[in-house]
Amino acid sequence: MTHVFVFTNHKGGVGKSTSATNIALGLSSVLKSTGAANARVLLIDTDSQAHATLVTTSRKDYGSQDSLYTVLMAERQSAAKVMNDCIVQSQWDDNLHILPASSMLEGAERELIGVAGAPYRISDPLSKIMSHYAAVVIDTRPSFSLLTEMALIAATDAIIPVEPRYLETVGLLSVITKINDIRDGWRIPDLKVSGIVITKMDSRIKGHTQLLEDLKSHPVLGKLICGVIPANEAVSYAHNNHQSVFSYDPKASASKAYAELVVTLIRRMVQG
Amino acid sequence: MPKPNVQRTSNLLASVTDEMLGGDLATKLQNNTIRVERLLLELVRPHPVQPRRVLPERIHQAFHQQQLTPTQALRELIQIVQIAARQRSRPFNNILELLTDREEAEADKSAELSPEETLLRDLVNLAVTIRDDGQVNPLTVVDVTQGVTRLYRIETGERRYWATWLLRDFIPDSGSDGTIPCIVIPGERASVFRQAKENTSRSGLTAIAMARQAALLVLSIYGQAIPENPVDNDFYRQALSLDLRAKREYTDAVLSAMGGIGKMHFSHFKNLLHLSDEALELADRHGLEEGVLRHVLQLPSESQSEMVQQIITFSLSGRQVREIVEQHQIGDTENDTEKPSPHAMRLIKLMRTVDEETPNALVQMLLREERNVHLARARIETMIAFLQEANHLLGEQ
Repeated sequence: MTHVFVFTNHKGGVGKSTSATNIALGLSSVLKSTGAANARVLLIDTDSQAHATLVTTSRKDYGSQDSLYTVLMAERQSAAKVMNDCIVQSQWDDNLHILPASSMLEGAERELIGVAGAPYRISDPLSKIMSHYAAVVIDTRPSFSLLTEMALIAATDAIIPVEPRYLETVGLLSVITKINDIRDGWRIPDLKVSGIVITKMDSRIKGHTQLLEDLKSHPVLGKLICGVIPANEAVSYAHNNHQSVFSYDPKASASKAYAELVVTLIRRMVQG
Repeated sequence: MPKPNVQRTSNLLASVTDEMLGGDLATKLQNNTIRVERLLLELVRPHPVQPRRVLPERIHQAFHQQQLTPTQALRELIQIVQIAARQRSRPFNNILELLTDREEAEADKSAELSPEETLLRDLVNLAVTIRDDGQVNPLTVVDVTQGVTRLYRIETGERRYWATWLLRDFIPDSGSDGTIPCIVIPGERASVFRQAKENTSRSGLTAIAMARQAALLVLSIYGQAIPENPVDNDFYRQALSLDLRAKREYTDAVLSAMGGIGKMHFSHFKNLLHLSDEALELADRHGLEEGVLRHVLQLPSESQSEMVQQIITFSLSGRQVREIVEQHQIGDTENDTEKPSPHAMRLIKLMRTVDEETPNALVQMLLREERNVHLARARIETMIAFLQEANHLLGEQ
């Protein structure tokens, strides 16, 4: 079964797109370097801001004919073929494929309100082409909109990036509750909250260390922490250059932390 | 924008992997076994050079030249069958009616089906079986994906492919999700030998398909690249000038891929490519056997399709074809007084003993041999014409 990792949090600026793009590249590269039979990874960008699309393809001008918007508006019978045709190769790596976002996604939600089966407009076509990929990574927008719901319905593993601050940690619980509501409401038994990634961790800040310790000691949340990504300017500079953090500065602490997270996720993929 | 330095990425991730991935995990990732997947129908295409043809030649060529989509190709086939059926007073609007008419057609022995009608009935039947029981037997496809352009070439199962299209687009409420289960062979493991073995291990390969298969194998061992585009018969005919004897090291592999046939049998199949284009197509459509067709090769190419048509119309056996062809050759050589013809000598001996038989005995024997009164009459008329011509020539001398 192909694992579909969705990076979601209704708070903006927590590192969803950064995590999704770097994890997608990391999965593909590690799979390739271990000689895996299939090292292809698909990154789906559901955020109308299209940041993940921009950094991985160096383009942001996808529209009504060649983006996720096209898939959402396609006839049900042809949606899978349309999805397949809209996928492009990333500038980062041949095995990293991107289903680009478009600014038109903003309007898609309005257009799809009241349309029967709308929440399944990503999961249905994706299920018909995902066997081609070793893993699928979905980046979501910072809200629990219809598009985020579509992404969660298509997913098997929800990963929540969160900054180590008090209010974000409080918000984390509402994110988990929302994911559970979607799993139960839409009867998606495969969907589970499978990880919390602490981003922008600065060990020099006492509040960060304290919150991380609190989270780690929590009986449930502690088990969900699957990665701690340090605050690192390499991440911002990598974005500016449309590069992954791995290729921008492989020695940066964030690069190593993301690499460790990649390995953790691959272990989960292999172990089922 | 220039492509980022991927090497640095790989180096970092590879080093982390070596430290953190256990050997068992790496082995599991490297699992390269052949897999079964449900693939989107649109991503699967029949191989244009596949020896076994499912669709009629004209539709086959148009489809592979991208002039027709799969749905349009099937629509053309349905229209051809509808016209033929209307002419035979069996009109139909819905292809499912073909199945309800089947028993009636079988009961009416005179209502012979055209190859296209038989093909469509078989495809509809297969489609209904898939609808009711599911696709139990996956197709075998080769992954020829390049970058984000996904494509899978069918090695075996083209009929199931067309039946699934029929189910999706022409059978209402079929419940088809537009995917088809496939055994996916990695591109690097595909070979013409694999394909040949898959083909010959299944029944129903016509003699002409076997001839094309033989040609593909010969061309392949001589290093000829197998094209990805549709080809005409001249492509296969290139194999006629090539010989297995010059590539002895491949002989066993080739014969084994052809289903374990002998060298002589292999040559017989390959020689069928000498037939004219029209004769090849007719023979393939009607599934004529090699033993029947080999005698047609003795005829000049302009007469071959006519002879093949006769074989189809009168269901001639190999022996009957051989006799007719020999007769044709006698006709050709009768003016040649330089060479004594053994057939002419045989006929003269027969003429000397003609009063030893009665016409009735001749008729009875002729009917027993030919099993068809029309054919028997044609034989006698040919003989009369032959003798009249001989008599006329005698008068001139």
